[in-house]
Amino acid sequence: MFDVSYFFSVVPKIFLKVPVTLEIALIATFFSLILGILIAIISYYQVPILNPLCKFLVSFMRGTPIVAQLYFFYFGLAVYSVLVRDMTPISAVAFVLSVNVGAFMSESIRGALMSVEEGQKEAALSLGMTHFQVVYRIVLPQAIRVAIPPLFNDFINLIKSSSLAFMLGVPDIMGAARTEGSQSYRYFEVYGAVMLVYWVVISFFDFFRKIVEKRLKEAY
Amino acid sequence: MAKEVLIEIEHLSKSFPGGTEVLKDISLEIHKGDIVAIIGPSGTGKSTLLRCLNYLTVPSEGKIRIGECTVDVKSHTKEEVYALRRKSSMVFQQFNLFKNKTALENVMEALTKVQKMPKAEAEEISKHLLEQVGMGDRMDFYPSKLSGGQQQRVGIARALAVNPEVILFDEPTSALDPEWVKEVLATIQEVAKEGRTMLIVTHEISFARQVANRILFMEEGKIQVDAPPEEFFSDTKQERLQQFLSFVRREEEL
Repeated sequence: MFDVSYFFSVVPKIFLKVPVTLEIALIATFFSLILGILIAIISYYQVPILNPLCKFLVSFMRGTPIVAQLYFFYFGLAVYSVLVRDMTPISAVAFVLSVNVGAFMSESIRGALMSVEEGQKEAALSLGMTHFQVVYRIVLPQAIRVAIPPLFNDFINLIKSSSLAFMLGVPDIMGAARTEGSQSYRYFEVYGAVMLVYWVVISFFDFFRKIVEKRLKEAY
Repeated sequence: MAKEVLIEIEHLSKSFPGGTEVLKDISLEIHKGDIVAIIGPSGTGKSTLLRCLNYLTVPSEGKIRIGECTVDVKSHTKEEVYALRRKSSMVFQQFNLFKNKTALENVMEALTKVQKMPKAEAEEISKHLLEQVGMGDRMDFYPSKLSGGQQQRVGIARALAVNPEVILFDEPTSALDPEWVKEVLATIQEVAKEGRTMLIVTHEISFARQVANRILFMEEGKIQVDAPPEEFFSDTKQERLQQFLSFVRREEEL
């Protein structure tokens, strides 16, 4: 039967590992945002050579499971690359997540840039504004408002995907749960606790998302 | 006394990729203070002609001069295009107001960012213009809170603000609900009284007749008729023009 007191003893143990999960998530968010912005700009301006390369990367990252990407990178590439072999598991996970989520974020950002109508850009140009002014004064302020909700979604997916880190032996939330479970065999309580902890963490960020989105809606 | 030629278009052509020839070797002179209405069936290049004048559409061939600024397609530079655009301003069919800016900010934008005018001065001019188009009580509204007619009047104020040599109206009332058409036409008529040079692409025939001192009839990428209103409407030799006019009149009666 469900062991309530065991459940409540295991929740804090797992909760202690939240910082590890957040560390991976925040590092990966930082780099995936940079990558996402870069790819989105390349695609928005249809930069020759780079644009098809980025398209391929995005399609590949979205079209393959993240577990496969992680294993290919950490175990596959390690055969040939000293750099990968010397990587800590946390860095490896953060790297793969950055590229993967960066691909998704680039789509969110690109969509937001495209959402600003051609007509407004034409109006700005017709008044003698430079291309840079058009982007900086008209396109970006509107695109950011459109981009934030899907980027928040990408971020939440990233937190959940970071749970794959345990497969490389990283002692994050999932890693702690596996250790705990292998000792007590009470998998029901242990993984119940895992889901509760993730849910609390994500609800916390969701709370901020709602506030930000409400602000954005009121803007104009 | 001959009036100064403000705009000179020489051998202007435009083909779109795929080979559609929208403008066919158009040459045209427009005098300072002229109010020129351009009418004709859809898809005959009226808007394209207008958009070539500020290079929103880059022509395939030809030379355009507004004031002292000349741009030749063959050798045009970015700087020349920016200079040409500062000679004119445009009022769009879909208004195209900046959504992230209030009515006042929309009108001020080009003054502060293109003409680098001090903010206080830009604000004074913009407020005055918004009063003039009857939007004085809506200055702090965002476009999403304005009706189509109100948005277009802000669009007209925005075009006036830069004090251009010529204002290009690209079907300014075509996207409006019938109830707003009148107020926008009245605003344009007010502006016309100031003696500013204007080019107006429109489907409002009776409006064209009232406001313009010269009317162009375009068809198949060419200017078929170019005459003052009195002559224009009594020109019975042009069969296609008569067909078009009777078609439009029938529409207006409905």
